Amino acid sequence: MTRFLAVRLLQGAAIVLLVVTLTFVLIRLAPGDPFQRMVEGSPASPQLIAQVRERAGLHLPIHQQYVRYVANVARGDLGDSFSERRPVWDAIRERIPATFVLAFTALLIDFVLGISTGAAQGAHPRSRTDDALTTATLTLYSIPVFWLGVVLMLLFSLNLGWFPIEGSKSSIGYDQLSILGRILDRLHHLILPALTLGLVGAAGTARYQRAAMLDAIRQNFVRSARAKGLTERVVIFRHALRNSLLPTITLFGLSFPILLSGSVLVETVFGWPGLGRFVVEAIENRDYPVVTGSAIVTATVVVLGNLLADVLYWVADPRTRPETWSEG
Amino acid sequence: MKRTRLKLTHGLIAAFLGLMACEPELSCEGNWCGTAIMASSAEPEALLPPLAAYDVDLALGDLLFWKLADVGPESNTFGDDGFVPKLAEAWDFEDPTTIRFQINPQARWHDGTLVTAHDVAFTYEVYTDPAVGFSGRSRLASIASVTARDSLTAIFVFSRHYPEQFFDAVYHMRILPHHLLGDVSHGELISHPFARSPVGNGPFRFVRWNAGEMIELAGDSTFFAGRPGFRRIVWRFVPDPIAIVSQLIAGEADYLSYIPGIENITRVAEHEDLRIEQYDVGVYNFMGFNMRDPEDTSRPHPLFASRDLRRAISMGVDREALTQAVLGEYGRPLVGPVTQSLWVWTDDVDQISFDSAGARQLLSELGWSDPDGDDVLDHGDRRLSFEVIVPASSALRRRTAVILQDQLKQLGVEMTINELEPTVWNTHAMSGEFDAYLQSLAHDASPGSVAEAWTSTGIGGFNAVAYSNPRFDQLVDEATTTFDRDTARTRWKQALNVINADVPAVWLFTPIGVAGVHDRIENVTMPWDEYWKSIWTWRVARDQVITRDLIASN
Repeated sequence: MTRFLAVRLLQGAAIVLLVVTLTFVLIRLAPGDPFQRMVEGSPASPQLIAQVRERAGLHLPIHQQYVRYVANVARGDLGDSFSERRPVWDAIRERIPATFVLAFTALLIDFVLGISTGAAQGAHPRSRTDDALTTATLTLYSIPVFWLGVVLMLLFSLNLGWFPIEGSKSSIGYDQLSILGRILDRLHHLILPALTLGLVGAAGTARYQRAAMLDAIRQNFVRSARAKGLTERVVIFRHALRNSLLPTITLFGLSFPILLSGSVLVETVFGWPGLGRFVVEAIENRDYPVVTGSAIVTATVVVLGNLLADVLYWVADPRTRPETWSEG
Repeated sequence: MKRTRLKLTHGLIAAFLGLMACEPELSCEGNWCGTAIMASSAEPEALLPPLAAYDVDLALGDLLFWKLADVGPESNTFGDDGFVPKLAEAWDFEDPTTIRFQINPQARWHDGTLVTAHDVAFTYEVYTDPAVGFSGRSRLASIASVTARDSLTAIFVFSRHYPEQFFDAVYHMRILPHHLLGDVSHGELISHPFARSPVGNGPFRFVRWNAGEMIELAGDSTFFAGRPGFRRIVWRFVPDPIAIVSQLIAGEADYLSYIPGIENITRVAEHEDLRIEQYDVGVYNFMGFNMRDPEDTSRPHPLFASRDLRRAISMGVDREALTQAVLGEYGRPLVGPVTQSLWVWTDDVDQISFDSAGARQLLSELGWSDPDGDDVLDHGDRRLSFEVIVPASSALRRRTAVILQDQLKQLGVEMTINELEPTVWNTHAMSGEFDAYLQSLAHDASPGSVAEAWTSTGIGGFNAVAYSNPRFDQLVDEATTTFDRDTARTRWKQALNVINADVPAVWLFTPIGVAGVHDRIENVTMPWDEYWKSIWTWRVARDQVITRDLIASN
């Protein structure tokens, strides 16, 4: 198992390197100069542009820039942001907690809601509830996430006034709150963005879980459980649901990249101070170090997320553990 | 069972106590309790005045750092008439090229240190150092030196005598702290922690910056020029246009400097607790014709080298209808590259009026016709077709382009629209890789900024279309060097006539800024050159104080 994990980590490092290489090259191939600005009439002089390009190392051939960048990353230096003119890691470090909180809460909503809905549908296939939930989940799954965010914001924040429109915490008075008060304040701000991101994911998970549940209840062990005279509740929850969860664990690993990309839109709509919005602005400004640095961070998270999904799978189903592979 | 009930009771008590502790302490008395929440779609990249480029950077910069003096309500930039003292309490001309400033002895940095003439000399060094990258460095080119005669006396020596010497000395530079930054290499200033946690000398002091979310400033109750109207200002950064307007309507923000879109202006105006404030912004929009061939900038443009063709296209544009379509009542057609806010403005200049019949006639005289009947004019092998580049981030310019395209189609002119990412658009504009471009330029209080955009010296910079006419350059030079205001006005008028006759651009419109303000905010004035500079005197009406105003500062 340890050897296998080490191999997977090495593979993960190779994937991260590949992602970094692609990002490094693609962002430089994109048209547009990061230092040539003429927004509302304030152009930078050619001399200044040449000077800052040299300072940033952009005067070197791309392969030299790449070698220099990888060497710096190996030393833990992601470079300096062109726009914020400070270490990229400092800027990422400030924003990544907000993105993680949003993504993990959305993941929680996604799986709790998605699995329970899908399980309820799978337990009573072709019932009215199943038909209604199928329509609801398909509709929800078809809605663009940014549009859902705007609708939820207009309904629950602007019209009903239940939630704040934007931000991750109150601008005023937050520091004077008790710890519990701060947690509640943050939850108050988190609910709408996390729901927006989580609901769309939950709709997809529900469809997946419904299929897995339908598959499970047709299995012999479920028939055996019923034949033993167990109550339907025990049959469904203890036997069918538990076994149907195995394929859904695979979804867990696949959810990370979707959540991180979805958070870009949600962060913009709800003014959430996360990494997604920051990266979009960096791409628009051709802030190469921020784009590449963020790619390293997100690729690492996705790789680790997938590894975690594998481990969870092995825990849930010992038959899939690496040490059993040779036996097969 | 008993244990479960006990746990539940403990949980409820804990939740109750927690909720009780959720209310922060409320305290404030007097006239200075207001907390203003300003909504902004953009966030500053740093809070270092020499590198401020956007409105939000400049607005925050002006609340934290003051200039020596500023233009007054009459916007005069000639001599020192009407200028109001800021960090300098007095000044005089020792000789035509030397100005002596007396620093107000009450002025303090927010760490308690005195503001001195050494700070002024240091500020000049920073602003003029190419390593810093101040975009208006050319405006300081005539200042030969700035020195400290004593701790409170700063001496500006100019290399020449000209009418806007005083303006250039005071308007562009916000004074920086020598005692905090003097040891920092100028090139490293922007990455110094000071740029994200500054110590200023203005009416507000920096409190905190939560990246991607908000910046908080606190009113300096001991500020030498008077106590600021708000005790706290929070700038919240909301990139989404729907969310930013909703925030204002929901009462979560008190002020939005620019309401995007006519429909949103109506929404705000109809809200009972809000009002709109209109203000001039000193911005003008135009479609510039590239004088150079984008394929080879050493050659003239195959179409737009012809002044008559540019003139015909300009005649085919109905600017009144276009302005009405894109801005409604919140815009005015332009008479040239100046807005009504500038003192040199006049509508008594030669303009190209909308005349589609005249435009067709002129095109026909130039040899353009449509023998193949495809509704696009031809001249030999050449079609009357060109591309206009538009920044995709600007909804206003995208809409303008579509209407222009339709109007020009009626003439038989094919205009294709290329929407580009702002960075790509900038690169194309700066390198002359375009046929025509839709631009929105801002000018400050001085007509000198207009000169910068349209004289030959601006080529490679603001003058992206590479317009050049020695007569125009000469008239602008005379206008900016004469000490007689009437003569200056006459020269500016002549210069406008020359540039209008040359048609380097179709002058489209000047937008009127429309801000959304909560009714509880009073004393709101918005000077056209820097609408934010009087924010420090705004206040919350005493009978309109709400809970968030009363929450104690940290």
